Amino acid sequence: MELQTAENMVALTESMERMEARLEAAASLFERTAALMEERESETSGEVRKIVAAVETNREAELQKKLEAAEQQIADLRAQVEAKGEAELKSTRKTVPAATAQFLAKQGLTALESVEAGALDAALNGLSLEQRIAVKAQLLRAGVVS
Amino acid sequence: MKLDAMAVTLPEVSGHPNRSPFTGVLTLVDEPSTKPPSGARGHRVILTRGAALAALPSLLGMAVDYAPSWDGHDARRKCGIITNADVQGPRLLVAGYLFAKDFPEVERQMRQCLPGAMGMSWELADAHVEDMRAEVWTLTQATFTGAAILLREKAAYRNTSFELAAARCRSIITRPTAAQGVHAGATKQATGRLRDGAGVAFPKRETGKESTWSYRQPKTWSL
Repeated sequence: MELQTAENMVALTESMERMEARLEAAASLFERTAALMEERESETSGEVRKIVAAVETNREAELQKKLEAAEQQIADLRAQVEAKGEAELKSTRKTVPAATAQFLAKQGLTALESVEAGALDAALNGLSLEQRIAVKAQLLRAGVVS
Repeated sequence: MKLDAMAVTLPEVSGHPNRSPFTGVLTLVDEPSTKPPSGARGHRVILTRGAALAALPSLLGMAVDYAPSWDGHDARRKCGIITNADVQGPRLLVAGYLFAKDFPEVERQMRQCLPGAMGMSWELADAHVEDMRAEVWTLTQATFTGAAILLREKAAYRNTSFELAAARCRSIITRPTAAQGVHAGATKQATGRLRDGAGVAFPKRETGKESTWSYRQPKTWSL
């Protein structure tokens, strides 16, 4: 149950992140469109908001380039971190068949993140040898025991 | 020669440590800029005489600023104020004070640089361009929002200049009368005849270095 809730939460968070990214992209598109429209409007009206009688320096262009590069780098790093985090999450996610989880829960083993060998043996005590092997194999596959 | 002038009269203060008078050529009127100004989308510009004259009142009281690299404007580094503006022939001349005590580095630069190395640049807002498709934009209307001191080679108009007075303002303290307060003045025509309010704009001054300086300004500017 808890596992399912956690999975739902993860899925919800991912969905919200995707939505956030799409909203950000849409907002920047709107901004660009507004700037373009403003430029077009000024072209027709002949109005210019600000002119400075200084030669446009390369410094501004360089700084703009640097800023863009830095932003790109930040975005790449963020994507890398997110991808790594997701991979880690996947690798640490412990999925145990519902029947097994239910059985273990009945035996008092609800926290599957850390199962002590002694407690597991005690819980599996009532099972046949084959069943014990099967449960342990499932837990092994799920990464609960190693 | 046609002369159109306008001034703001500030109360005189003897030996003011923070006032260092300057004069400069801010721009040329009816002449295309040497290079495209920033914000003109690559077009060179012509500031018409009419536009410059109409915008003179907006220039008075505006600040002069500087960038530490002397290559542009930095509106947050306001190191002086413009108190006089004249259009003489093709030149728009300005005079005012630097805040020399607050910005010793500016005064130092002015004193140390080669003569003629420094120039000026205006900042305009709400400019009206006659034809935006023209190769050279003609500005028929604008508002001055400030000016900058910069290297002449960095100015869109190469024939600008900026100079400090030889000595600091050392005038005698005069109590400002009601008429002498801070007022925008009137225009002065080529004939030298002053319009209404000229007595306010160009009051008689006490003897002293500042008055000598004020007297010499027109001569400095004469073509």
